[in-house]
Amino acid sequence: MVNRRIKLTQGSGEHGPGRRIKKVAVLGSGVMGSRIACHFANIGVQVLLLDMVPRELLPAEQARGLTLDSSTVRNRLVNQSLETAIRTNPSPVFSKHTASLIQTGNFDDDMAAIALADWVIEVVVERLDIKKQLLDRVEQYRTEGTLITSNTSGIPIHLMAAGRSADFQAHFCGTHFFNPPRYLHLLEIIPTPETKTEVVDFLMHYGDKFLGKTTVLCKDTPAFIGNRIGVYSMLALTHLVEQLELTVEDVDKFTGPAMGHPKSATFRTADVVGLDTLVNVAKGLSENAPDDEAKEIFNLPSYIRQMVERQWLGEKAKQGFYKKIKDDKGNSEILALDLGTLEYRKQEKVTAATLEATKPIDDIRKRMKVYEQGTDKAGALFRAMHYPLFEYVSRRVPEITDEFFRIDDAMRAGFGWELGPFEIWDALGVRETVEKIRAEERRIPGHSGEVADWVRQMLDSGHESFYQVKDGVRHYYDAQSKSYKPIPGAESFIILNDLRGQRTVWKNEGLTVIDLGEGILNAEFHTKMNTIGSDVIQGLHQAIDIAEKDFRGLVIGNDGANFSAGANIGLIFMMAVEQDYDGLNNAIKTFQDTSMRLRYSAIPVVAAPFNLALGGGCEFSMHADFIQLHAETYMGLVEFGVGVIPGGGGTKEFALRASDEFKEGQIVQQVLRERFLTIGQAKVSTSAAEAFELGYLQAGKYAVSMNRNRLLADAKAKAVELAEAGYTQPAPRADITVLGKQGLGIVYVGANSMRAGNYISEHDQKISEKLGWVMCGGNLSTPTQVSEQYLLDLEREAFLSLCGERKTLERIQHMLTKGKPLRN
Amino acid sequence: MEAYIIAGFRTAVGKAPRGVFRFTRADDLAAEVVKQLIASVPNLDKEEIDDVIVGNATPEAEQGLNIGRMISLMGLDTEKVPGVTVNRYCASGLETIATAVAKIKTGMADAIIAGGVEVMSGMPFGGWKLVPNPEVAQRHPDWYWGMGLTAEAVAKEYRVNREDQDAFALASHQKAIAAIKNGHLKDGVVPITVRENYLDAAVGAGQWDASNYLDAALHTGQQGGGANPTKGGNSIKTREYVVDTDEGPRADTSLEALAKLKPVFAAGGSVTAGNSSQTSDGAAFVLVVSEKKLKSLNISPIARLVSYGVAGVPPRIMGIGPIHAIPKALKMAGMTLDDMNLIELNEAFASQSLAVIRELKINTEILNVNGGAIALGHPLGCSGAKLSVQLFHELKRRNQRYGMVTMCVGNGQGAAGIFEML
Repeated sequence: MVNRRIKLTQGSGEHGPGRRIKKVAVLGSGVMGSRIACHFANIGVQVLLLDMVPRELLPAEQARGLTLDSSTVRNRLVNQSLETAIRTNPSPVFSKHTASLIQTGNFDDDMAAIALADWVIEVVVERLDIKKQLLDRVEQYRTEGTLITSNTSGIPIHLMAAGRSADFQAHFCGTHFFNPPRYLHLLEIIPTPETKTEVVDFLMHYGDKFLGKTTVLCKDTPAFIGNRIGVYSMLALTHLVEQLELTVEDVDKFTGPAMGHPKSATFRTADVVGLDTLVNVAKGLSENAPDDEAKEIFNLPSYIRQMVERQWLGEKAKQGFYKKIKDDKGNSEILALDLGTLEYRKQEKVTAATLEATKPIDDIRKRMKVYEQGTDKAGALFRAMHYPLFEYVSRRVPEITDEFFRIDDAMRAGFGWELGPFEIWDALGVRETVEKIRAEERRIPGHSGEVADWVRQMLDSGHESFYQVKDGVRHYYDAQSKSYKPIPGAESFIILNDLRGQRTVWKNEGLTVIDLGEGILNAEFHTKMNTIGSDVIQGLHQAIDIAEKDFRGLVIGNDGANFSAGANIGLIFMMAVEQDYDGLNNAIKTFQDTSMRLRYSAIPVVAAPFNLALGGGCEFSMHADFIQLHAETYMGLVEFGVGVIPGGGGTKEFALRASDEFKEGQIVQQVLRERFLTIGQAKVSTSAAEAFELGYLQAGKYAVSMNRNRLLADAKAKAVELAEAGYTQPAPRADITVLGKQGLGIVYVGANSMRAGNYISEHDQKISEKLGWVMCGGNLSTPTQVSEQYLLDLEREAFLSLCGERKTLERIQHMLTKGKPLRN
Repeated sequence: MEAYIIAGFRTAVGKAPRGVFRFTRADDLAAEVVKQLIASVPNLDKEEIDDVIVGNATPEAEQGLNIGRMISLMGLDTEKVPGVTVNRYCASGLETIATAVAKIKTGMADAIIAGGVEVMSGMPFGGWKLVPNPEVAQRHPDWYWGMGLTAEAVAKEYRVNREDQDAFALASHQKAIAAIKNGHLKDGVVPITVRENYLDAAVGAGQWDASNYLDAALHTGQQGGGANPTKGGNSIKTREYVVDTDEGPRADTSLEALAKLKPVFAAGGSVTAGNSSQTSDGAAFVLVVSEKKLKSLNISPIARLVSYGVAGVPPRIMGIGPIHAIPKALKMAGMTLDDMNLIELNEAFASQSLAVIRELKINTEILNVNGGAIALGHPLGCSGAKLSVQLFHELKRRNQRYGMVTMCVGNGQGAAGIFEML
């Protein structure tokens, strides 16, 4: 695999022609610095990562005869940090090759090199004096006009800029990456009054398009936006616990996915983040935000203070709100903390009628409304939490931001909320909620019952919601002009929910075809986990039919949690158990035909995978004309896990790709072997870059969107481009070289050896041999050119025969009931 | 008519794939030994050599195209002496000596260079292109097993546990380290000069070297420091070093360190990288002559091959090969193991070595006295000749008479040769 560089959808130079980021210097290689360095390397930028020179030799260094002048010693800290970072799981790098873009050095020897950087990022320890000292040296070496940013979660940005040269101040800005920077979407941008507009615009755009973050413009106020609201919201809960007589389990059950928050909900999240971190931000806020009407909230309840005293800080201390223990038999159990007695006890099962009522409601907005009306503890908590929160966030405008939507952006991107506070408020009805806020009992410090004036004025002027969708573009209420304005940059996003009302062309239970404009259709899966069953398959054919008739291109994409978890194996299981092999044969044939139709149709088809794209989801993507994928795409042919081989054209496609990679005189068995092992080991990519390395993507036939929010728009643009470039339906392939017996021998030897070495089970061996049989094109006496249909027929035959195996059925059943693969 | 070994040399053994010979080709390495061999018998007219027989277990790529002939051309610097390549896997280097002896004894030749070479660096185990017969692979997959799996099978069937394997491996290293220290492995080693061409820094270095860039100089208003386009590592440099000591033995290994290693050939197995032979690079050759030639050269012989036996065993437990080959060779010679003063048993794996030792009740006092392949390495096709050269020097040093070189061989075979010092 030659092409290791990630391919980004090229920017259009929207941020002016002058500023290009080729080299970045990252100063400080701690947890944040090293990972920020990795993320820049992820997008192909050359990085110089610097840290301090150690003051003392380690005994091992002494033994090797090294001195404090040896470069190994001088760069020890930075090299260790980088190595630790790269070994972290989940990894901060897209591919094992990424780190080669990072060069390390130290503050004493290598500061002059920052003159070559287009952007200098300071990420040293969170102490103003240390940051200032380092920035003095940056000023000494940096080239005029280059960007300089300080990353911090709480140090006021203007204090760092004060007293520096005009050029420095004009190009200086604060940033706040959330940890881990590769995976958390929020990037706060905090300019000072002296920061040039061009610089702010550039950072907002670059962070969004190139780093893939939701960039949120913040004012230079304590804890900026995300942590200000996030910590308020968390601490508000800690105050409510006693008043509403809630347990740790209650809170986590009530404030989890049902409420549109992450699975780890409230206390579980606190354990992961660390209570000390939370306490530090709270402490900072209580010191630095004296005018906050809710500042009393930052005084922690006594049980939290005691937990901190006892060092029950969460996961790193092995105990926090939860504690994992092992009983005598070695079974582990997670206990919960009783907040009254501060003793750990068995978790209690939490049930609430409100949660049951919200469960069947997929639409989060409707769910919120039902949740709000709950008459039990859950409903009470929802109201007690949200009404003061609405009031609090309304009063933060314009203190922390001039545009309220940035608060929603921060909470979605940084804290994993499905909806931000203003969006929830919209869902509940702004006007009626204002009354409820007033009527709600005062339980949380600062809750006065009165929302900010601008909200009241909004309602008075007849504007009933914070947001509106006009022509598929999201607008926000602008308090100054008392009108709705498009959210900046929103025109470059496609949100299917905002379009489906007016632009739905066709739909069934599993798939909706939506007109994206400019002649491009989108086929949206909406089954559970976006699995592929008969509805999706019928829908895809329908979408292509419609597109071939009246449109010029098709995108396959959705806004769900995953692109697709694969074929609906429940259906396969039923037919296999009933031994309905004719039915099964037809089903697989239809699946294969669908893959083939994606490739062989009169219009360009662009797949837009993200997150999970497994099994059939991977096969469909591989058959599209182009794959526009999110950088975080976990793609793989994982069929071995359920005891079969890829049967929707995936095996055929890998044989075809291997054949295309064969060169005269090459050891073609090795090429086939690599393809074989990728399926045989059910390898799933950990990034788009790795999906390329694993051969799921092909050079020239894919592009990466760093920002998930831009994926559909990028895919649509690609479809337009392909159509305008004069797309013609490809001719079917009949020139696929299969190795026959020249490849089959090593398949049998390899499978047997793996079995003999106990690395795979007997059933794995059988599946491997079937896979090899298909990929070699059967036992042909000599390498032979075959057609795609020949391979598809072999693939289907092998798939069917495996469905007749008891052990395959056990695997499928296990996956259906337990959600993970069975090794039998 | 008797055949006499009148000279024998070897290279030190380098580790593969990242050892001292990683840049040295097999033909170059072997040719150096052949040159030394000829130089050691100044009276011999090299054009009177009848053949060069080269053992090699992976005769493809750099070792392909009949490397035996290439070595005769390169090492002897004459077109008149032919060359042939012989493959009996790990016994190749011994097989060639036996072949030379047999030819001379039957009057088909008077002088033959025999030995073997293997450079495992840069070559996958088993070679580049594996195309097993699919029908056979289905009926007898173990005929194609890798050697590690067979070592596991031997460990299982002959009940050789992990602790014993690790202890055996440790002893091999300790003996080898002591032998190197005492100079017992020095004799017969041809120093090899390795020449390496390299870039003086990794490609890409210098990207942050401010002095390299004019634009940087312009930006900072400082002098560019004589911008040198080659700075940052784009010029080819050469370095040379001489290799004359076996690279494999580790003084720092211990039972604890060996116990930490994970099995590499089977999940839950007992064979590790630590108790297996090392992959290696090396070459070794001897000169075998007829009685007539010996007299005309007026030279005293080193040794003669008393007998040589090979045996077939089940491929899935190929490691037990010596259990069948040794009795064959002894019977031919009319001797017993008690007659042997020293034995070089190739340590392909500790598991098979221990199985052989226990089964034949070999006296370990006389076995691999200077360490074995676990410490010193196992350059497949070279090993038979290398062990023979080592055996001659050790028997000579001890002033003893009989010695044996034996090994297991891939695909279920064993080989054993008995030498008598003269």
